[in-house]
Amino acid sequence: MAPLTERQAWLVLASVKGVGDETFGRLLSIFGSAATVLIAAGDGRLATASADWQRRQGRPLLTAPVLTELRAIAADGNERLTALSDRGLWSLTPLDAGYPGRLRDLDPPPPVVHGLGDPAILVARRVVALVGTRRPTPFGRMLAGRICGRLVECGAVVVSGLAVGVDGAAHAAVVERGGRTIAVIGAGHDTPGPRAHEGLRRAILAGGGAIVGEHHPTVRATHGTYPRRNRIIAALAEATIVVEAPVRSGALITARHALELGRRVLVAPGRVGDWSTAGSLALLRETPAYPLTGLDEMVADLGFLGGGDAASAVVGGPEARGALLATIGPTERSVAERLCLGPAGLDGLVAGTGHPPAVVAGALTLLLMRGWAQAIGPVYLVAGPLLG
Amino acid sequence: MLATLVTAVVNGLRGELVRVEIDVAPGLPSCHIVGLPDAALSEARERVRGAIRNSGFNYPGSRITVNLAPADRPKRGAAYDLAIAVGILVASGQIRRGGGAWALLGELSLSGTVQPVAGVLPMVATLARAGYARIAVPAANLAEAQLVGNVEVVAVDGLDDAARLVSGPRGRSARAATRRDALSVSSVSGAAAMPQNTGAAHLTGMVEPVDLVEIRGQGHARWALEVALAGGHNLLLVGPPGAGKTLLCRAIPGLLPPLRDDEALEVTVIESVAGLLRDGGLRRDRPFRAPHHTSSYAALVGGGPALQPGEASLSHRGVLFLDELAEFDRSALDALRQPLEEGVITLARARGHVRYPARFQLVAAMNPCRCGHHGDEDRECRCPRGEPERYVQRVSGPFLDRIDIHVRLGPVRPADLLAHGEPEHSAVVQARISAAWERARARNHGRPNANLAGSAAVRAADLPRTASVLLDELAVAAGMSARGVHRVVRVARSIADLEDRARVLEQDVLAAVQLRQPDMRWPRAA
Repeated sequence: MAPLTERQAWLVLASVKGVGDETFGRLLSIFGSAATVLIAAGDGRLATASADWQRRQGRPLLTAPVLTELRAIAADGNERLTALSDRGLWSLTPLDAGYPGRLRDLDPPPPVVHGLGDPAILVARRVVALVGTRRPTPFGRMLAGRICGRLVECGAVVVSGLAVGVDGAAHAAVVERGGRTIAVIGAGHDTPGPRAHEGLRRAILAGGGAIVGEHHPTVRATHGTYPRRNRIIAALAEATIVVEAPVRSGALITARHALELGRRVLVAPGRVGDWSTAGSLALLRETPAYPLTGLDEMVADLGFLGGGDAASAVVGGPEARGALLATIGPTERSVAERLCLGPAGLDGLVAGTGHPPAVVAGALTLLLMRGWAQAIGPVYLVAGPLLG
Repeated sequence: MLATLVTAVVNGLRGELVRVEIDVAPGLPSCHIVGLPDAALSEARERVRGAIRNSGFNYPGSRITVNLAPADRPKRGAAYDLAIAVGILVASGQIRRGGGAWALLGELSLSGTVQPVAGVLPMVATLARAGYARIAVPAANLAEAQLVGNVEVVAVDGLDDAARLVSGPRGRSARAATRRDALSVSSVSGAAAMPQNTGAAHLTGMVEPVDLVEIRGQGHARWALEVALAGGHNLLLVGPPGAGKTLLCRAIPGLLPPLRDDEALEVTVIESVAGLLRDGGLRRDRPFRAPHHTSSYAALVGGGPALQPGEASLSHRGVLFLDELAEFDRSALDALRQPLEEGVITLARARGHVRYPARFQLVAAMNPCRCGHHGDEDRECRCPRGEPERYVQRVSGPFLDRIDIHVRLGPVRPADLLAHGEPEHSAVVQARISAAWERARARNHGRPNANLAGSAAVRAADLPRTASVLLDELAVAAGMSARGVHRVVRVARSIADLEDRARVLEQDVLAAVQLRQPDMRWPRAA
């Protein structure tokens, strides 16, 4: 067997399940290089070092199964490397120039990132993470879509986690508008997230985005891999936006990682007492996260998005809305005005406008046709130019 | 000695003549029934023997052969008991044939009393058509038998009654026979004063009807229900538990217009065949059937060994209400597609086939998902991922496509329940529905708007230019199919009928689109 280069040894060592970023860093500091670690695994010095560590720290550096696996791949690590190339994955290690600088802010940085798609997107400018619950309300889903639409207009890249719910809505909204997006998966590339997102994954790649993860392709998701993945989402992005996080949501972990990295965090607030946004509100109360109060404000608060060519296209403002409402018929206007106060069902609109159901239904159809309203289940909300 | 009597059998909704020939000949005492009898009919031997002995006659100790002709038609049930018993009395010389030729229908008990049977109305009609002017029926079936005109129908309580009738002189009978005019519209409308059948709703697990005045909130769904009933449109209500779907539907019986005379006869015939008409006359109220979602295929569509009509036929000219639509057996629902399209059900079996009319209006209700809160504004759906989609997919697309009006209900809010003011009474709404119904019938040659074909619907709508241009725009904007456009036109026609408008205007079209909202694919808002 030809001796491995340091970079190859690095990839092989990182492919061992049980050698996470912490352990990887410790091994490097003990042995000096990944190649030396592999040699040490072969001649038994690694086992000695692990035992040493246990004497000093009270727990082993490497468990017995991990030591066994390391000994096996020290003899022949090529299989691990071909597993990567067979799948067409590219890999970036901190040894590579292309390794995203923002990931180096993590301590320790992930020893390797495997990906499909365009690796250059990881170092793009204007990268924003958008995260939220796996079980969003229809409004959370819609808000994620609107935010992403605006981010794409500003030329930003959106990072998220390819999970169902807000993550999926975010990726889908970006792809639909021709934007680029990075999906960070919490397992190996052989099991890249929910089956329902098969089409979405293809679309992300076709749209010039990337799907990345820190695990060897064959690694399966476990209890810990998804929370760990969140630190990469937070680090890859210059800012993180949270849409609908209940208490104990993974999105909160991402937000806290982002705050620890000194990145800006924007949180869409919710109604007091709402289950779906309880975590978001806690974040706003306990951390320096900003509330997300509108899309214009979001662009301003994100700062780095710059003027963007879309800023001029923004209508916004109650005056503009009033002028718009003046152009439509009186019944339609009264229904639209009621919708501007908040989402409502048909019965709410009947009660709010005083018109009979048949009249409200007709007015609503006109608003839907114009794209000024939209239906989510039994509830209607304003859309298009009527959105502030 | 030989005796021949006439009775009838029901096949589907039609009666067929059956001749009962009885031969009493010397030989070992025995009784044979030939002519493809089923189990109930074979047991007639025992019932007849008991009834004859317990009515004061002698059961002949001879060889008795009963032939039911035509011999190649399978015969079932106990309606021949009376004819067989009387035939034996005649053949054994215990009574003498009187002047008149009587047709006899009825089941016998061992004591000799005559029990009611199913299908008397079509059987009497057939006998009358075949020229049998005098028919004896069980007392409990008298009301329905009297719906047929031009015949003398007599109620018999026991075998001795029947024996007196048959042996009596022409024109005289044990009881004053009631004569009716021919089976015509005028005679049937005169039957309004007859005892009314109060319906068989209790048989289908339905609780008592509700008046709309007791239902608060859900103004939109009330309106949608009114439009649906006015035009005979199939209706689907989707909403969370407690939104009032079932409650609203329980108000339907009080909102339906009464049956027209010809419809009343059709409905009564079906109920007679199903054996649900034991003690009533003409049905004047529209059927409202609410089978439980565990109902079997045969219960819904019809079938069983006797090829009985199912709920779909029992709700002919009325409403078939399927609560918890997604919980129904899929194959049973798909079998309802034929009646939804054609208004008839064909039951084909190896022994032959029958066609039952089944032109019902479908009203269905379901939850949006298993937990019922998918898409709610402020309740969390607790279903596993993908479950809401799977739940809705239990009902097939072609089936949903047959439903003109889809309404999505939101939860009822406490404010609605405590609101001041009284909602409308059912009677007020029913008057509007009946008026709209009449307008539609008058214009559409007797059909409700829902049964208009596409081009006929467009003609009936008589859209002004502005409205048809608007409809075109809506169709493009919402990605409607041609079928979808016709659906909108039909529903708009009903909305306009409720408002007593000769032409369908723009506002009707706009409102109709809203009644199929879940189908519309509006452009995604920016």
